[in-house]
Amino acid sequence: MADIARPVTLPGAARPAPPRRSFLREHPSVLWFMLILGIFTAGVTLLSEAFGIGLVSTSLVKILGMTLCLCLLAVAMDVVWGYCGILSLGHFAFFGLGGYAIGMWLMYARTEILVRQSLEAGTIPPTEREVSEAVASQIFSVVGSNELPLIWSFAHSLTFQLAMVVLIPGLLALVFGWLAFRSRVTGVYLSILTQAMTLALSLYLFQNDSGLRGNNGLSGLQNIPGFLDVPQSVISMWFFWASALALGLGYMLFAWIVSGKFGSVVRAIRDNEPRVRFLGYNVEGYKLFVFTLTAIIAGLAGALYYPQAGIINPAEIAPIASIYLAVWVAIGGRGRLYGAVIGAALVSLLSSWLTGGGAPNIDLGFYRIVWTDWWQVLLGFGFVLVTLFFPKGIGGLFDRLVRKQE
Amino acid sequence: MTALLEVSDVSVTFDGFRAINGLSLAINEPELRAVIGPNGAGKTTFMDIVTGKTRPDTGRVVWGETATSLLSMSEAQIARAGIGRKFQKPTVFEDQTVRENLRLALKARRGVFSVLSWRATAEDARRIDELAQEIGLTDRLSHRAGDLSHGQKQWLEIGMLLAQDPRLLLVDEPAAGMTPAEREHTTDILKTAARTRAVVVIEHDMEFVRRLDCRVTVLHEGRVLAEGSLDHVTRDQRVIDVYLGR
Repeated sequence: MADIARPVTLPGAARPAPPRRSFLREHPSVLWFMLILGIFTAGVTLLSEAFGIGLVSTSLVKILGMTLCLCLLAVAMDVVWGYCGILSLGHFAFFGLGGYAIGMWLMYARTEILVRQSLEAGTIPPTEREVSEAVASQIFSVVGSNELPLIWSFAHSLTFQLAMVVLIPGLLALVFGWLAFRSRVTGVYLSILTQAMTLALSLYLFQNDSGLRGNNGLSGLQNIPGFLDVPQSVISMWFFWASALALGLGYMLFAWIVSGKFGSVVRAIRDNEPRVRFLGYNVEGYKLFVFTLTAIIAGLAGALYYPQAGIINPAEIAPIASIYLAVWVAIGGRGRLYGAVIGAALVSLLSSWLTGGGAPNIDLGFYRIVWTDWWQVLLGFGFVLVTLFFPKGIGGLFDRLVRKQE
Repeated sequence: MTALLEVSDVSVTFDGFRAINGLSLAINEPELRAVIGPNGAGKTTFMDIVTGKTRPDTGRVVWGETATSLLSMSEAQIARAGIGRKFQKPTVFEDQTVRENLRLALKARRGVFSVLSWRATAEDARRIDELAQEIGLTDRLSHRAGDLSHGQKQWLEIGMLLAQDPRLLLVDEPAAGMTPAEREHTTDILKTAARTRAVVVIEHDMEFVRRLDCRVTVLHEGRVLAEGSLDHVTRDQRVIDVYLGR
């Protein structure tokens, strides 16, 4: 009867809990990415005009900062498409909406400062009403109006507009996604639907009475109210750092989301949606969560991007932009976050180099290749070549490297 | 004893073709039941109806002690209520490891936020090891499911079904493409499972059904033709007609 004396072991207690390895330890690619991003940020800072030796011009800092925002957008796109299998052709619209939301405050607050300065020059101090009317006519005279549209009611409040950066893309994605996923619209039909949403949005914004200055869009966004005396070389660095931080945090967030059991469910949905349903998972809920979360991150990325670009107009939201986004992710490699970053950085930097007149035109004698015209042809060929020969994109090359090492 | 699953007078038509025609069937808990029948008898459609994939035109499908109707529930709700299904063609998530596949199926909360905050526990790890042992895939836990042989995929899917810990298992042709030794093992797994729960097996292979040694329902043209022990139904003249042709 020696058995009785033995301590009772509960089922499961015989085995120690699996050692809890840190998230970064288990996903070394995240650590590598953070390291490279950190070195890049430090490098640009040391070479900048404002804080370094001035080798990197302010306009280049802006381009690099904007590229970081596009990388964050591409990472979001990769999560929704590469991991969850939803080919959304609307994520650039969420990006643009974030830009519009912050742009409204930037434009209003700066115009208000300028208006006050000019009115205070007069003998009688202006009333609040006069200020607001003057601001309205300043901003909206280009579209033949001098009234502040209803959606600008809280444009003076930074807090409110920052909330809108998150809420507008988030709510649009939530409502749109709920309707689409609930009706089980999938595959190419969903892509067409998101594309239609994007088109409708940009067409609406093109109208003068949309309340967002029609095709003029919002401008002067590089001037930050409250810091109007700070030189652009410094402001551009602030935004560059903010963009790098946002990309780093966004990357970590998405890497965490796609790594655990949630990522496993999401990839399973991508590969066989009905089967996941028969396992008892509410597929629509998962898709809606991923769609909405990525839309919110896209909006945040846009809110950082457009103050660096200085201007936003409805052409930015045009359907083609969302298609480009998908192309970046495909070229970089779907289903791996760093692939999306590589694709977005490479293609968008190449595009600004070639279309910005930086690249020398090629004279063939009988024909002159002007890159501003031929850039899109090059991109098209590049896309076809990658799809044919590297279906896993540039990021897929890392797999081969790793396999060789093994 | 009330039935766990009760299908009564169910009919479903696809483009004018009556796939199920007044089908009535009851499954008890625990029970092992084989459903046989020629091609087009409605075996797979029967499973589609129970799991919510297909909505019947008429009839009732009720579940459990509370006699809840399954017809107004989504596929995911039905699965969470305790009905697990194994498809004819093995459908595992090929891109993920055997462990990940089992972990997906393992009984746990299925909500978005519960899954987001999920952390590996020793209990989960133990269950997965136990299941892997049962389906003979212990040494393949870290392999991609896509690299498994056909028979192993079948087992993995059976393992996933067991991981869900359902009250009713619907198993569509579990032994297809298996070697005789693998078949025997599959029979053992199903018989063990049926000691504590309801298991419905759709099968073509009479030899396999004989080894299951259970009550048999013969479907033909979308309705029950005969029911009873295998010897009983194979002696039935109508069953012989259907199988051997008139």
